[in-house]
Parts: sequence; structure tokens; C-alpha cells
Amino acid sequence: MGSAEDLVARCQAGDVEAFETIYRQHASRLYTLACRMAGSPEDGEDLLQEIFLQAYRKLGSFKGDATLGTWLYRLALNHCLDYVRSRRAKMNKLTSAIEGEIACEPAARRETPIARLDLERAVERLPEGCREAFVLHDVEGFDHKEVGRLLGIAEGTSKSQVFKARMKLRALLGKP
Amino acid sequence: MHPNEDAIHAYVDGSLGAAERTGIDRHVASCASCRQLLEDLREILRAAKALELREPPARVWSRLERAITLERDDAEPVARRLQPSGMASDTGPAEAGHDRRASGARGPASGARTLQPSGTASDTGRAEAGHDRRATWLAAAAAVVLATAVGLRFMPSGGESVRSGAPATTTVAEGDRAESVETELRQAEAHYEKAIKGLEQIASAERNALDPRTAATLQRNLAVIDQAITESRAAVRSEPASEPAQQSLLENFKSKIALLQDTVALINEMRKGNEAGAARIVSGLKQKGD
Repeated sequence: MGSAEDLVARCQAGDVEAFETIYRQHASRLYTLACRMAGSPEDGEDLLQEIFLQAYRKLGSFKGDATLGTWLYRLALNHCLDYVRSRRAKMNKLTSAIEGEIACEPAARRETPIARLDLERAVERLPEGCREAFVLHDVEGFDHKEVGRLLGIAEGTSKSQVFKARMKLRALLGKP
Repeated sequence: MHPNEDAIHAYVDGSLGAAERTGIDRHVASCASCRQLLEDLREILRAAKALELREPPARVWSRLERAITLERDDAEPVARRLQPSGMASDTGPAEAGHDRRASGARGPASGARTLQPSGTASDTGRAEAGHDRRATWLAAAAAVVLATAVGLRFMPSGGESVRSGAPATTTVAEGDRAESVETELRQAEAHYEKAIKGLEQIASAERNALDPRTAATLQRNLAVIDQAITESRAAVRSEPASEPAQQSLLENFKSKIALLQDTVALINEMRKGNEAGAARIVSGLKQKGD
């Protein structure tokens, strides 16, 4: 298997198997992040490929001062954030469309615990903007200050987006 | 009087001061609706923390491996790499070496994997080598076809137009926007159709590598997606400005490309003799078909 440094050195020497080992070790974590940030498995799949292609090209800049997992996570997060920003022009329109949709669909209250799959699907249905803030804060564990910095919004905006996301999830999951 | 919702969110986050916390504790003890909100938010947070990792489809690595190999071997002319006619017999050592790399096999030094099924000895002959090389050009051809579609992200109604592949439109006056969106959609559609056609050619030419049941499952899934494409295309034609209709059409194109990619990846794994890889892909196909 080899250490991260060994794997990186082998990748740089053209060993695709070493890169596959890195991929197998980290793909799930980054794919999960990409799917949730993008809001769809299809886009998550494209993002994952782009992330690892970029990682392959940039392996030379991995200096070992962070773990390889941390380095890849940062690269993936930046890539996802670029993607999110590129969609920002569309964000407001989509947000209002989905808000309207959710407002028209009051779900009956469910007393059963939240199923993992239901939550995943509900997160995908969150409006652009509040979904990313929710994923970064409530799933990935960043604080509001960090979320604000990552998304280029104020700390207070991060809070209001996360709170909005939770309330929408509550409605989508039949817990209004 | 109810505390405001923000205070309740801050309460579940643990970011309220002691005095405010006590105030909310006192209130929820006698207010069923605020107590319910508090419990619901806690449950959502618990569930969010407990979300599991997702496994990416097997085709992502196949696609990535191909892209990396093509990038690494960029110096070699693409036409030569995609040349299926050289797969059978008379390639020299250098080319055979390239073929091993490109098809995912490793040299003796790294040694962890070969393309031969179940550890067959290296002298199983030219047929094996032919399979290796066939798998190579097959996957490489699929990668090139997909280069027209990967990263193609049409954004309806005035967002970023596309990532690659289709020409970007410049900013236009509001009155011309609908026409511009339709033009972009048509361009994106043309790119998807081109990619699909290329993949279909590869998949149908190599379909005899699949067992009949898997081929039938694939055919059934393709028929469902084709029907969805027909319906969403009709919706776009009758309402060209409808975002849901545009999105639906593009999503259906992407689904078809993904299924064809799975087909090519599956054929490739079977030709390489990688039963585990093939089983992983078939399992994904069955889940989608269920």
C-alpha cells in the first residue's frame, strides 16, 4: 500500500496504480461532498472526476505539510465552491422557484425518525445558497465564520441560510 | 411570548449564553410548539451528522484512468492509440508496453495486477494480448467520445452557458434571451446526441461480450431513458422557455450517457477478465433498473 509520500512519488513517476490507490482511499469522502454541494449525484460524479484529474496534475504541489486527505479535501472543496459560484447567477431564480414549490407542498407530519436516504434527498431539494451553507455547517462541521469565508458571504448570512435550510428540511421531511 | 426562531437554532447549536438558554428552557417547558420545533431541529442535526459516505459509480475510475492515461501519453498521436486494427498480432514491445499502461495493467515491477483472469500464466497467448489491446482501444475510444460531453453543463435561462464543448454566448439584451437560451439548448443537445451516438456505436459493436441477461437489462433501461428523452423533448418543443422541461431533457441525456458509459466500462472489464469490476458495474445497473 505505501505511505502517502510513497504513493505521491509513485504517481509522479507515472504509476497509475498508485493513483488508483489514492482514489480508492479518498473517492467516497470527496464524492459525498461533491454530491451534496452540487445537489445531484450526476453533477457530483462530474465534479469527482474533475477533482481527481486536477489532483493528478497538481500532485507536485503536495508538500506533505498536511495529510494527503486534507490536501485532497481542500482541493475538492475549492473545486466545489468554484462550481457553486459559477451557478450563482442562476441562484436567485432557482431559489424562488423552489421556495414556491415547497410552500405549495405542506407535508403531513411524520412521527418516524428521519431516514438517512430521506434526508439526502431533502438536502438535494434545498435551494441553492442555503444548501451549501447547511452542508458546510451542519454536515461538514465548519463554523459560521468559516462558512462565510468559503462562500463569500457574511457570517450572519451564513447563519440565516443554515436556519432557513433547517426549516425547509423540517417541512420536506414531514416535520412541520 | 415565543422566542424567535433564530434563538432556537442558536440554542440547538449551543451558541446561546446561559441566561438566554435558561429563558428558552423555561419557555419550552410550557410551550408544545416550540418544544416540538426544538426536538425536530435536534433530530435533523443528529441525522445530518450521521449521514453516511456515498460510493461513486465504478465508471468514474474507468473514465479517470482513461483520461489520465491519455493525458500522460499525450505525445503519441491519438489516431494511433485508437487504432483497433493493430490489436491482434504484430505490435512491437514499445507499443505493447503502452497498451498495458493504457488498459490499466501494471508492469512486473509494480506487479499487483494483470489483465489475465484468475492469475492465468502469461503464455496464454495472443488471444489474451488481443483482448488487452481491444479493451484498451475500446475504453480509449469511449473516453474520446465522452470528451465532448464531460463537463458539458448547460445552464438554462441566462446562467453560465456551458463548461466546455459548446460555444459560450455573450450577454444579450433581455428580449433576445429566450432565443439565446434556445440556441444554447440546441447546441448542448447536439453535443449530447453526438456523444450518445459515438457511445452507442461502441456499445452495440461490442455487445456480444455481454451475457444475454445483462444485455437485456441494459436494453430495458435504455428504452426507459429513450422514452423519457422523447417526452421531455416534446415538452421542450411545445414550451421552449420552460426551465423544468429544459433541465429534464438534459438530465435524461446525461442518464443515457451514464448508462452507455456503464455499458462500455462493463464490456471493458469483461474483456480484461476483471470479474469483480464487472460485478460491481452490473450490480449498479440492476439497482438502477429495479
